[in-house]
Amino acid sequence: MDAHMPYLLCTILFCIGIYGILAKRNIIKIILGIVIAEYAVNLFLILVAYKAGGRAPIFDTLENGQLIQPSAMVDPLPHALVLTSIVIGLATTAFMIALAIRLYGKYGTFDITRMRELRG
Amino acid sequence: MIRSIFGLILVLVLGAIMVAVVPDIEYSEEIHGVGLHYTSQGMQETGSANLVTAVIVAYRGLDTLGEVVVLFCASTSVVLILSLYPLSLKVSRPSFIVAQTSRLLPAPILLLGLYLIAHSHLSPGGGFPGGAVIASAFLLVMLGGTGVPGSSRNLAAVESLAGLSFGLLGFWGVMKLGQFLNNLVLGTGTPGSLVSAGLIPLISLVIGIKVASELSSVFAAFRYKGGH
Repeated sequence: MDAHMPYLLCTILFCIGIYGILAKRNIIKIILGIVIAEYAVNLFLILVAYKAGGRAPIFDTLENGQLIQPSAMVDPLPHALVLTSIVIGLATTAFMIALAIRLYGKYGTFDITRMRELRG
Repeated sequence: MIRSIFGLILVLVLGAIMVAVVPDIEYSEEIHGVGLHYTSQGMQETGSANLVTAVIVAYRGLDTLGEVVVLFCASTSVVLILSLYPLSLKVSRPSFIVAQTSRLLPAPILLLGLYLIAHSHLSPGGGFPGGAVIASAFLLVMLGGTGVPGSSRNLAAVESLAGLSFGLLGFWGVMKLGQFLNNLVLGTGTPGSLVSAGLIPLISLVIGIKVASELSSVFAAFRYKGGH
């Protein structure tokens, strides 16, 4: 169970994000909730690649002049996935904020419960 | 209040399900599956010392092309949404510190971005982080108010050119080796030297230019379309 503690912390972080999405009324706080949930997933993927004492998957010489062996490296695949995920997350966050700016311009509020009536 | 209670209940149920699944996640010190192939054969096959870059650009190059398309769609939508009609938001003048920093720092930031892109196959970095760093230099210039707004048409042209180059580099592989985005059209070279790893530095450069111009156009849209 000890080896799974970081995963549990990830789960808690993800739940905090989901709670923000479900319970908050301010659209900026909802966006923050989405971002927190997203980074919890990124953290989880990075933790899947973790191994004790592992080196970054880059072939380089160590301090004592030896080449890093492939067996000492962490798995590069989750790292590549997370890099992709961060870039897409940035793009979607910018998109959500643009929508929030537009909604504020139309209704004069960030409160989603007061965005009911259609206005021309 | 009802909202918070319902949210809390749903989150607790979701959390309980996830906690119940967590102990089933396999934890091992050994890499297995495709990751093992990447770490044991990756450098010989692609010539790239940085295996994360090798996975992103060489092994999964087509997915990266798709990712670049997603980024393009998102930045286009942001510019489109913000430029439908101008908003009446006030833009405050930059303070003395921001104005002076925006004259000093962009050159070193640009240099760092170019370094990250050029050494994408040797050290941590790559096209996406390098492009983001370059875009942050543009953001600083915009915040300082010292630079010209920069025509968004120019940015769009640079961006389209970079996207087109990505596709053409892919078709070079079709012409020469019969495979889209084949990394070996230039040979692998000596792993660890600056000119090595086949197409990876070129594709990183193209991705860097594209990401930098896309993010800059997003920043410019927030600054100049959103705030008149």
